[in-house]
Amino acid sequence: MPENVLLRLRDVKKVFGGLTAVDGITFDVNQGEIYSVIGPNGAGKTTVFNLITGIYKPDGGEMLFEGQSISGLSPDRVLRRGITRTFQNIRLFNNMTVLENVLVGQHSKIPGNLPSVLLHLPNYQRAERRAEERAVELLSFFGPSLVARKDDYAANLSYAERRRVEIARALGSEPKLLLLDEPTAGMNDAETGEAINYIQRLRSEFGLTILLIEHKLQVTMGISDRIAVLDYGRKIAEGVPAEIQRNEQVIEAYLGRKAAVE
Amino acid sequence: MSATNIRAQLSDSISAVLSNKIAGRELRWYLSGWRLGIILLVVCIILPFVLDGIDPSLVTTSIAIGTYIILALGLNIVVGYAGLLDLGYVAFFVIGSYTVAVGTYGFLQNAQGKSIPIPSFSGQLFWLLIPLAALLACLFGILLGAPTLRLRGDYLAIVTLGFGEIVPIVFQNVPWFFGQFGMSASPPPDVGPITFSDPLNQYPFYYLTLALVVLVILGVTSLRGSSIGRAWIAIREDETAASVAGVNLVRTKLMAFGLGALVGGIGGALNAAFVSSIAPSDFNFNISITILIMIVLGGLGSIPGVIVGAIVLRFVDVYLLGKINDAVHGLPLVSGSGAPLHFLNNVDFNTAKFLIYGLILMFMILLRPQGLIPDVRRKRELQGIGASAEGASAVGLLEREEAGEDEAGGETTTVGAGSDAQGRED
Repeated sequence: MPENVLLRLRDVKKVFGGLTAVDGITFDVNQGEIYSVIGPNGAGKTTVFNLITGIYKPDGGEMLFEGQSISGLSPDRVLRRGITRTFQNIRLFNNMTVLENVLVGQHSKIPGNLPSVLLHLPNYQRAERRAEERAVELLSFFGPSLVARKDDYAANLSYAERRRVEIARALGSEPKLLLLDEPTAGMNDAETGEAINYIQRLRSEFGLTILLIEHKLQVTMGISDRIAVLDYGRKIAEGVPAEIQRNEQVIEAYLGRKAAVE
Repeated sequence: MSATNIRAQLSDSISAVLSNKIAGRELRWYLSGWRLGIILLVVCIILPFVLDGIDPSLVTTSIAIGTYIILALGLNIVVGYAGLLDLGYVAFFVIGSYTVAVGTYGFLQNAQGKSIPIPSFSGQLFWLLIPLAALLACLFGILLGAPTLRLRGDYLAIVTLGFGEIVPIVFQNVPWFFGQFGMSASPPPDVGPITFSDPLNQYPFYYLTLALVVLVILGVTSLRGSSIGRAWIAIREDETAASVAGVNLVRTKLMAFGLGALVGGIGGALNAAFVSSIAPSDFNFNISITILIMIVLGGLGSIPGVIVGAIVLRFVDVYLLGKINDAVHGLPLVSGSGAPLHFLNNVDFNTAKFLIYGLILMFMILLRPQGLIPDVRRKRELQGIGASAEGASAVGLLEREEAGEDEAGGETTTVGAGSDAQGRED
């Protein structure tokens, strides 16, 4: 099992002023796994994502990806290692077309040296053409409807379509690990069902390992191999879905919080 | 006949003209993309002969306009594409100008005020000074950018503003450059029968300017549609998302800054060779602002817009104001000593430049904030399409807000902003 570990977090900490948002979290994500992180609001889930992807710098602990430290790397360097993500509040480039959005996702695949780009040298042109073909391929993963809209501005798409474009953009860098932050937030049951379907297909067709933040039990219990539960920045439980559903501490964290609100 | 009728007729006749076929193609086909570019280039090549017939000083005016088209296109990379507000762009203009002056003057001054000879770029070596000016400006652009690009918005604007003020002052106070008296620069050397030093024949200079303008247009057009152009726009739209998508923020922003500066250096070199005498006081904050107004007037991020903006403002400044001044002072109501509007004789309309710029800017922002020839994306941003296109505008706004706070937390370890962001997420 251990040589199977793709992402390893050891005692990772993040403090904002007086608030310890992430208080020593440890977990391993194995190659090819769908690993979910759940927990009440404010438990620190998105902060963990921001730490892994380099948006925040950790205040302690270590993060290893394929055995090498990714602590303190900038987001684009984390991406080059093979990790990318989507955001809870979809962050597309609204005034760019769908195709351009997915092309930005492949930025790391296109030669960036100025002479090639400025003079449109053959190697740049080839890369650009390949990137465009690849973008259409990635969009067609979600069916033909998105391909048909590739020249529309991202802002004009429906909510569910925007989610998909964001995933297509993330896939452009050919990641090994994909972090999805609440990919079904704001979706109805039918759309959630589709999302579950394509998350599973992401693993089978792209060979991805997926780290997932999700609130809907329908999703986490249905597709996760393992689940970690966070509360107040700590991991309070970890296990396969059936174990988590029976775990006393988890029930307390959820119900206790609920009772306190009432 | 009513106004609507006239308008309908007019649009009918325009579309009739456009659908006229020339060699089997509609006229519209000829007026798009690179074909339009070639047509405009031909027009520009013929233009000086026409202008010379109308008023010979218009040729000189066009050269002055050309310099500013170059500057405006350069600043447009920084402000229009990458969305980094640079209020000190004049710095690169200065560096470009002084490169040519130092390169051709043959002397520097030591601390005791004595002129000391230095090797100069005489003869055809002059042409090396244009790329050298561009490279030096680019270098300083990167030197300025490296420590400051972590700043955002207002802070970056203030730092660049300071840089724009400091550079001319350095040239004034460092002993080598003859202080406030400035330096003179030689015009380009004769190339065969073509001579640049004849004040009565400005055609060679006109075509040199045109060549540089075309070169810069080709460069920025190529960049705009490239992966680098895409990365700039992505950064402007959402820095964090761009970074997570693999865009190296520092490198990409530095590239915008460096290339913008490089183009500014070319403009400076051309300027020095043309005006032939430069002094630190020629370069001030007003120039930075004027160039910025040009690109806002024309349409941020839009190459044709920026060119039109530069033409309009520079034409008003170099040509029109002087003509208005002469015309008003020559009116019978104004001229004689007992004339009723004699006080107008004391008004110098040339100094009203910034009043006019201000008015233009005010009306533009009220009536056409996207600029004369807007960039498609900018137009959308201004109309707020991006923010609320999902029909649920409240959701859109909330997203924006959260995104903003996320960024504040993500950028540095600013404690307050960070904890704020933390409070919202999850």
